[in-house]
Amino acid sequence: MEDNVQYIGETLWPGQLGHFFILLSFVAIAFTAYAAYKQSKTIDVSNTSWRSLSRIGFALHGLSVFGIIGILFYIMLGKHYEYGYAFDHVSDDLPWRYIFSAFWEGQEGSFLLWMFWHVILGAVIIKTAKHWESPVLLFLALFQMVIASMLLGLHIEIGDFAYKLGSNPTLLLRDVFDAPLFNKADYVASLKGNGLNPLLQNYWMTIHPPTLFLGFASVTIPFSYAAAGFFTRQYTEWLKPALKWSLFSSGILGIGILMGGAWAYEALTFGGYWAWDPVENMSLVPWIMMVAGVHTNLIARSTGRAVKSTYIYYGLSFVLIIYSTYLTRSGILGDSSVHSFTEMGLEFQLIFMVVAAALLTTFVYLRHSKNVAVPEKEEAIVSREFWMFVGALILFFSAVIITMSTSLPVLNAVINIFNPDFVGTVIKDPIPHYNKFQIWIAVLITVLTAKTIYLRYKDKTLSNKKQKSLTVKFLIFGLIAALITYLTSLWIDYFHWKYALLAYACYFTIVSNFALIIRDFRANASMVGSVLSHAGFAIMIIGTIASGLNEKTITSNPFAMRDLMPDESLADAINILAEKPFFVNDYWITWEGDSTESFTKTFKLKFEKENADGEREDPFYVYPNLLYSNDLTKVAAFNPDTKHYIDRDIFVHIAGLPAAQLDVNNAKEIEDSLVYNTYIVNVGDTIKLKGITGIVENITFDPTQEDYIATGSDIGMGVGITFKSFDDKYQETEEVVIGLKENMLYQYPVMVNDLRLKVKMDERSFDNFFTQENLLDYKEYKLKTGDTFEFNNRTYTLEGFNSEINNDNYKREEDDLALKGMISYNSAKGKQVLEPLYIIRNNRPFSIKDYEAEGGTHIRLSKIDPTNEEFVIQIARDVRENPEIILKIAEDVPRTDIIVIEATIFPGINLFWLGSIMMMLGFFVSLWRRYKSKYA
Amino acid sequence: MHILAFIAIIAGISIIVIGSKDVSTYSSFSEALKTEESVKITGTLDKDKDLSYNPEIDPNLFSFYMKDGDGISKKVLLSRPKPQDFERAESIVVTGKMKGEEFIASEILMKCPSKYKDEEIRIRAEI
Repeated sequence: MEDNVQYIGETLWPGQLGHFFILLSFVAIAFTAYAAYKQSKTIDVSNTSWRSLSRIGFALHGLSVFGIIGILFYIMLGKHYEYGYAFDHVSDDLPWRYIFSAFWEGQEGSFLLWMFWHVILGAVIIKTAKHWESPVLLFLALFQMVIASMLLGLHIEIGDFAYKLGSNPTLLLRDVFDAPLFNKADYVASLKGNGLNPLLQNYWMTIHPPTLFLGFASVTIPFSYAAAGFFTRQYTEWLKPALKWSLFSSGILGIGILMGGAWAYEALTFGGYWAWDPVENMSLVPWIMMVAGVHTNLIARSTGRAVKSTYIYYGLSFVLIIYSTYLTRSGILGDSSVHSFTEMGLEFQLIFMVVAAALLTTFVYLRHSKNVAVPEKEEAIVSREFWMFVGALILFFSAVIITMSTSLPVLNAVINIFNPDFVGTVIKDPIPHYNKFQIWIAVLITVLTAKTIYLRYKDKTLSNKKQKSLTVKFLIFGLIAALITYLTSLWIDYFHWKYALLAYACYFTIVSNFALIIRDFRANASMVGSVLSHAGFAIMIIGTIASGLNEKTITSNPFAMRDLMPDESLADAINILAEKPFFVNDYWITWEGDSTESFTKTFKLKFEKENADGEREDPFYVYPNLLYSNDLTKVAAFNPDTKHYIDRDIFVHIAGLPAAQLDVNNAKEIEDSLVYNTYIVNVGDTIKLKGITGIVENITFDPTQEDYIATGSDIGMGVGITFKSFDDKYQETEEVVIGLKENMLYQYPVMVNDLRLKVKMDERSFDNFFTQENLLDYKEYKLKTGDTFEFNNRTYTLEGFNSEINNDNYKREEDDLALKGMISYNSAKGKQVLEPLYIIRNNRPFSIKDYEAEGGTHIRLSKIDPTNEEFVIQIARDVRENPEIILKIAEDVPRTDIIVIEATIFPGINLFWLGSIMMMLGFFVSLWRRYKSKYA
Repeated sequence: MHILAFIAIIAGISIIVIGSKDVSTYSSFSEALKTEESVKITGTLDKDKDLSYNPEIDPNLFSFYMKDGDGISKKVLLSRPKPQDFERAESIVVTGKMKGEEFIASEILMKCPSKYKDEEIRIRAEI
């Protein structure tokens, strides 16, 4: 039926062009792979015709990838919601700066980001790899082809069998969904984009994915070199260029992972930077394998050993990146990860990708590994390569353990195929489970690095002298480390001997590493990168012990004696009331106020520490906030704020709000459930409530309540009421208001939180003070300028006229004749002037009255007699014979001035960041040195 | 080299043995009643019964009813503020123990509906 509809407002060319580019990108990269293969098989090095073709193929592929990206940006920036990708990821109110985040929020966009980096890295290979170009490009292109297939969006139907190959991001929404909406020809006009998930609207989402995907893409290159080396039977020559790439990859991927941790810590309310979440694990594991590969690559470069191990580690790193893509994008982790991912319906294609990568890696290895020359003698136990090899093996184990535990859902799924009744297993308590093993890995790694950096490659035995000097050195390092372990125990708790041992091992390696370059910098300058990385790793672990084991919740309520949980420490949040300081665990916390700007509501919280003398000191402010959903009907996300000190962080976030504050539907439900009683009162009356009295103080006609903002000719009326509890604890004067805005009456109720009252003024009260125009009884006075008249015990003077008119009720038109009368009277507030208007428009006279609410006076300038200079003034007064106010009061109303906060101290967290940065810097220092030196 | 391989195999086996003790199957409320151990239960929010979170009374107490795989609905108490978007959760995994007729949860994980389904609903709703 849809085929019959002629749609209006669709822009079709981006979809058609996009589809073309997608097909071209696939075909071009397939061709590149073929050409690169042919070139690699060409024995005559001077014959480079296939190489040229592979370059053309790759250039075409690169252009099409840029083209697809360009088209997606075009439809997103142009808000072409007829396209699913724009509809899903942008909205009219999405700020420009989040356009990149919106682009890679979607699976297709993130695949494109990955492809983009492959294109860039491929270009670098073509430019720099010399004779390695073609074989490396072959493997890069093969993998790129598989990713490109994820975007194909081809429907394959063979009989009853239908399969979707890839998901084309440039499809129209109506091609993806079937909805009655698409029966309307002009459906495009009624579409509104879904916009970017508010949780992702921060700068981390702009910088984290591109870094991480560059990391992902870079993992392909060392493997491609390894495979190229085996494939072209140059079994050792690939080690030199591969090492540079693996150092680069380790650094970038490491930074990408750390950014994820920093994001979780800074902008999400997970309350930490690492939680052994499956998604986190699966980005870490390829990195660990890559680092293991760096170490065996170094061994291989220096001794000719461990070539096959290097291939295996690079291959595993590569396969694990793809495996991690499968795990995080197939939805299989659903029950075990906090990261939620959309499903694209490409599970089988993702599985194919993993299997193909694993088979390719294995096939090339099995075919060629027997040809790799292995030195005959085993390495000696005193050689550097032996211990580095052991270190790499430990890293390999670390990665295997993490992968196995994380893969439990996959194992469940596999068993389920054979046994549908299988319920599946799960790790009971993930964090201790992972820590249990990784703590020993860290101990071994740190001790090994402390020792290994003092050994030399290919040493068979140690001379007595060296043996002695090493023994003395390690004895001294051990003593210093013991001293530091003791000193830091005064600052942080180790809780368990295992952690004390881990800290000791870390200090040992820090001392040992720094001693190496401090004692003789010149001789060991080449080791700077290694020292930075190893010491950085140890410092990072110290930071983890300090901040992770010693994190302390400020807001754990010591009075929470609910006897509910065996572990009361779980009660980590407290509720605080607006402007009422709350004391908990040595801190005074005050919610001083909040402000709302577009979608964000920011809370201003003051923290003060109380010292032993009971004085408050060190005040500081934190500003956690919350984000409303795009339609402003509910809270979409909470963002924490952190106060940074050099030795600790104080991390604060809003953990909860009363239901009414979270969602307008809840607010409505609660409002509907309130029981309002009606009270008809006059000024001076007392209202008796449960344990509370209210005295009606006054009526005002210029209300000052903050919710009520008068504009133009709005009329407002406020009633001041003083509420008092019987025990005299609370006394508060509030103003409840009704207002007339553009002929609509609005209520401005007040909430008395301390007394849990909500007070509204009934609209009927309005009629007791304001009389409708047709019921007014106007009196007429004929006056000349300067004349006075008496009305209702007030003397009015016609002061004069003015043609300068500035009145909200009057919009000037051409040829209007307008005059403003100025009639004054004296009141308690001094001389007041009323300004009625007289207008002649199209030869017809009009009058626009002026109104004064205090006395209820309506005044008009109804006639002008120019010959006698006489003016007719009409004046009337609101009928206020019955000055009754009708109030509606609900009691026992839930408070609205309440927020639930959680505040945590993370001691020594800067050590974690410092150590991590040092570690990553180490990779780049090593890389830089290899570029500079001839040795490489 | 052979020694290394030997050590690696021993280490691997012991890791699997130790690690497998941390693993359990998803349980149910009726099974949870029979054990003192902490269990994990998957289920769905029982929308017929009220969930409650009143920060004014206790900011660390959130309760709701969950239906487990057998269709049995029990009250679950969580010692934490109510998680964001809880009502939208498609499935819930709770870790904890039964105490009387109530399940005391120490941890909770929610699976929210995929974006695509949500969109379909929204498109339909706009007509």
